[in-house]
Amino acid sequence: MNDPRKGSDAEPITHFGYKNVPESQKAEKVAEVFHSVAAKYDLMNDVLSGGMHRLWKRFTIELSGVRSGNRVLDIAGGTGDLAKKFSHLVGPTGEVVLADINASMLKVGRDRLLDRGVAGNIKFVQADAEKLPFPDNHFDCVTIAFGLRNVTHKEDAIRSMLRVLKPGGRLLVLEFSKPTSKVMSKIYDAYSFAFMPLAGKLITNDSESYRYLAESIRMHPDQETLKSMMVQAGFDRVTYHNMTSGIVALHRGIKP
Amino acid sequence: MLINGLLASAEHGVNRVLRMDSTALPRLDRLSGKVIAIECTSPAFHLHVLPSDDGLMLAANWDGGADVTLRAPAASLMRLAMSKDKNAVLHSPEVELDGESAVLLELVGVLQDLDLDWEYDLQRWLGPVAAPLIGGHLRNSARWTRDSATSLSHNLAEYLAEESRTLVGKREAEARFAELDQTKQDLERLEARFERLAHSLKSSDNA
Repeated sequence: MNDPRKGSDAEPITHFGYKNVPESQKAEKVAEVFHSVAAKYDLMNDVLSGGMHRLWKRFTIELSGVRSGNRVLDIAGGTGDLAKKFSHLVGPTGEVVLADINASMLKVGRDRLLDRGVAGNIKFVQADAEKLPFPDNHFDCVTIAFGLRNVTHKEDAIRSMLRVLKPGGRLLVLEFSKPTSKVMSKIYDAYSFAFMPLAGKLITNDSESYRYLAESIRMHPDQETLKSMMVQAGFDRVTYHNMTSGIVALHRGIKP
Repeated sequence: MLINGLLASAEHGVNRVLRMDSTALPRLDRLSGKVIAIECTSPAFHLHVLPSDDGLMLAANWDGGADVTLRAPAASLMRLAMSKDKNAVLHSPEVELDGESAVLLELVGVLQDLDLDWEYDLQRWLGPVAAPLIGGHLRNSARWTRDSATSLSHNLAEYLAEESRTLVGKREAEARFAELDQTKQDLERLEARFERLAHSLKSSDNA
C-alpha cells in the first residue's frame, strides 16, 4: 500500500523500499534502480530466482487466454519476456504493446525482441502505468509482471488499467507477495537480505538496487490486500494463485 | 509448478527438434492462433498445444477455448507419437476427436514429415569439416548395421528352417496351412452332404 502521509512541507510521503521519500521523488529513484540494472536484468532474474521467473511468467501466459487477433498491453514489460510470447499468440492480426516507464529497460526489451525477429505486431511505448496513454476499452488483456510494487500510486495504476481494458478483458498482476508458511518466510528473508544484495554486488556491482528489490517486496501489499484493491478499483471475479509457497502471486480480474 | 517445469523442458526439447527441419516452423506458422487440447483418459491429464512460427507451446493450465480436442488413453497417445502412420491411430475406436480436426491432422502431418538435419546442428558445434566426416561415418555405420541385421535375420531363419529343421519355414508352413484349410473345407462339405441325406431319409420315413 502507498501509506501516504503528509510531511512537514505538506508533500505526501511514500515508501521507497524501507525509506520514506516525497512522492515526487519515488519514480525518479525507481528509474535510477532500473537504469542501473537494465543491461544485466535477465541474467540477474535467472540467478536470483534460479530460473523460476520463467515458470511464473509461463503460468501468467497460460491464464491470459490470449487468442489470435487480441490486443495485449504488457506494462512494465522490461526486457520483453511476456511480450515475445504474446506476439506469437496474437499473430499478425493482433497487437502487443510493450510499455515501460523506464527508457533503459524499454531499449533493452526492444533491441532484444527485434534481434529475435519479433516485429510487425508489436509496439514499444514509454508510458506511466498511472496515466496510460491509450483509449478507453482498447485492450483484451493487460499484464503487469513485477512492476506494480514500483508504482507510486498503485490504486491509480489499477484504475488506469481498468479504463483501457475492454469489458470482459483481463488484468493479470504477477508480483512478489507474502510467503504462505512461516518457515518459508524465514528462509526467504535470509535469502533476500543476505544473498540478493551480494549477488547484485558481484554481478552488476550494485548491491543497493537489490537491497531496494528486497525491501520493496516487503512493502508491497499481500495477496488479500491487492485483491481488495482490484475489487475496489472495479474489477470483477478477482482471484489469485500463489506460486512457490506464496513468494509470488498471480492476481487476475475481469473488467465487468 | 512441477508440471509447468516439466512441460517447459519438454517444449524446449521439442522446439529444438522442430528447428532441425527447415519446413516445420513455416508449416506450424499456418496453425498460429489455433489451440489443440489433448485429454488423456487414462491416466487422466490434459494438455494444450499452441503452434506458432516459434514452435509449439505446451500448456497445462490454458485458460481459453480449444479449436480441437483429442481424447484418448495414454497408450493410444504414445502410439500416435511413435507411429509412422498417425492417421491410422487417429481413426482407431478408442480415439475421439471434437472440433476442427483439420488443425490436428495438419499438426500430425508436420510431425510425421519431420526430416531432421542432424548434421547442421552438429556442424554448429564441430565445424564444417568434422561434421560431414562424422555424419558420413555415422550414416555408413547405420547402413552397415541395418544391412547386417537384415542379413543375419535371413541367415538365421534359413538355418533354423532348412538346415537344423528346428522350425518350419514360412513357405512350408503356408503350404501346410493351405492343405489344412482344404481338408477343413472338404470335411464341412461332407458334413453338409450327410445332413442333407439324413434329412431326405427322415422325410421318406415319414411318408
